[in-house]
Amino acid sequence: MNGRPSPFDRAVRACQWAIASLTLVFITSIVLWIAHLIRTAWRLGDVPSASIGISLVAIPVFLTLLGVGLSVFWGLLRGGDRR
Amino acid sequence: MPDPSIQRDAALFAPIAQTGRGFYFTLVVLGIAILWGAVAYWTQFEHGLGVTGLQQPVSWGFYVTNFVFFIGISHAGTLISAILRLSKAEWRRPITRMAEVITVMVLFIGAGQILVDLGRPDRMLNVLLYGRYQSPLLWDATSISAYLFASTIYLYLPLIPDIAILRDHLGKHRFLYAVLAMGWTGTERQQKILNRAIAILAIMVIPIAISVHTVVSFVFSMTIQPAWHSSIFGPYFVAGAIFSGIAALIVAMAIIRRIHRLQAYLKPVHFRYLGYLLLVMTLLWFYLTFAEYLTGYYGNEPEEMKVFWSKFTGPFWPTFWAMVALNFVIPMAFLVRLQHHAVGKTVAASVCIVAGMWLERFNIIVPTLSNPRLPFPVATYWPTWIEWGETAGSFGLFILFYVLFVKFFPIISIWEIREGREVGLKEVEERLLTYLPDATEPEPARRHTKVPT
Repeated sequence: MNGRPSPFDRAVRACQWAIASLTLVFITSIVLWIAHLIRTAWRLGDVPSASIGISLVAIPVFLTLLGVGLSVFWGLLRGGDRR
Repeated sequence: MPDPSIQRDAALFAPIAQTGRGFYFTLVVLGIAILWGAVAYWTQFEHGLGVTGLQQPVSWGFYVTNFVFFIGISHAGTLISAILRLSKAEWRRPITRMAEVITVMVLFIGAGQILVDLGRPDRMLNVLLYGRYQSPLLWDATSISAYLFASTIYLYLPLIPDIAILRDHLGKHRFLYAVLAMGWTGTERQQKILNRAIAILAIMVIPIAISVHTVVSFVFSMTIQPAWHSSIFGPYFVAGAIFSGIAALIVAMAIIRRIHRLQAYLKPVHFRYLGYLLLVMTLLWFYLTFAEYLTGYYGNEPEEMKVFWSKFTGPFWPTFWAMVALNFVIPMAFLVRLQHHAVGKTVAASVCIVAGMWLERFNIIVPTLSNPRLPFPVATYWPTWIEWGETAGSFGLFILFYVLFVKFFPIISIWEIREGREVGLKEVEERLLTYLPDATEPEPARRHTKVPT
């Protein structure tokens, strides 16, 4: 269990980080999109309260889901050494 | 696989380890359906929505029916699985994953229907750039995205210990399994993290799932179209979704049980318990349908009555009465007595309900649009081969996704079955004692379930 990780392990780890990064990008994109819709509604005076009201529920839900996903990712990778 | 624990559940590895001729035959059949769908879509893309039966005033037909139907079926999984997990229903163990897979697959297919219905997919960019949150359509997009993301994680997390088993014992696709196993070795810390995350998600997905179909119903009920503007549409759609979801789950269970010879895991008792749930949902569906139509009839509003009579005795009577027969009359006959032949009876009822619920979605959408409140001429909708092809392709794609999942991952949760054997039996006994009078309630168990690897 000592020494440098093998190329196989390094490739596996790289893919795992890519999955976590994609998840982060996906949720960030949704949050930014919702923020964009609020901004557009605000700029046009187009009932921004509707956008703000929905985003107050939607954004925390997405962030919580992201938090659960990433905490599992981080926790499993860190907690796998001590069996 | 010399490990005795692996050999004991060898039947669960068999669909992944071995590939028979049936698999390739299934791929060919599904490929034909998907090809038909692809040709239909390409024709529509080339020539526009004019090649379909969609026109004014019936601008929503098969595509939106499929959308509502598939999103409804998605309630099979995450919702049912989450409720059974939280209520510690021990019989859930072999069925939760099947349900969760249905959810994720049909959500992709359901959401795709909107893209097909748009005619020009590039118009989707307008939603991204200029979407307005006053529109229930955008509420839909938001809640379905949340549900899809939550369901995918909820499917994936309980899959991790099983993927690790495949990584360590299967000997093929090792890189794929090593990546997806996320370094799982079964340490106490890992088990604690995973169990906590599954518990959080099980609680979160229930309101998200309910919000999804409520919001789908809002697409209709927030308009003032006759027979749509109803306050019970939210619960009516949610109940219908759970109803069709359970039915779809039973059908999937029966097919997988038969093809992969999993009779030892999917026993008649599982079908019987789901059959009882289905019976309750049949009665609930009938109650809500009765309440909905009686309210409309009693109000006697002229525009509403046109839709009402078009369903009861007018051009839509075949689909309406077929819906009543398939969703209520026939299932009741099968489900009232499930002591014997539980598998056959629940499967027969479920097949009827899946077809009946598709008709229900059709009966909600098309008769109302055929008799609009605005002064359009009354119209009838006839789907062309394009819609039939797209529908066949969608079902084909859903089944293909499911078949491929079964080919790569255990469709029955191996670690949960083992946990049931090793921990569940004792835990159930202890829990039962706490239900009985004169038994002292133990301290809340700090349960770090040993997840076998």
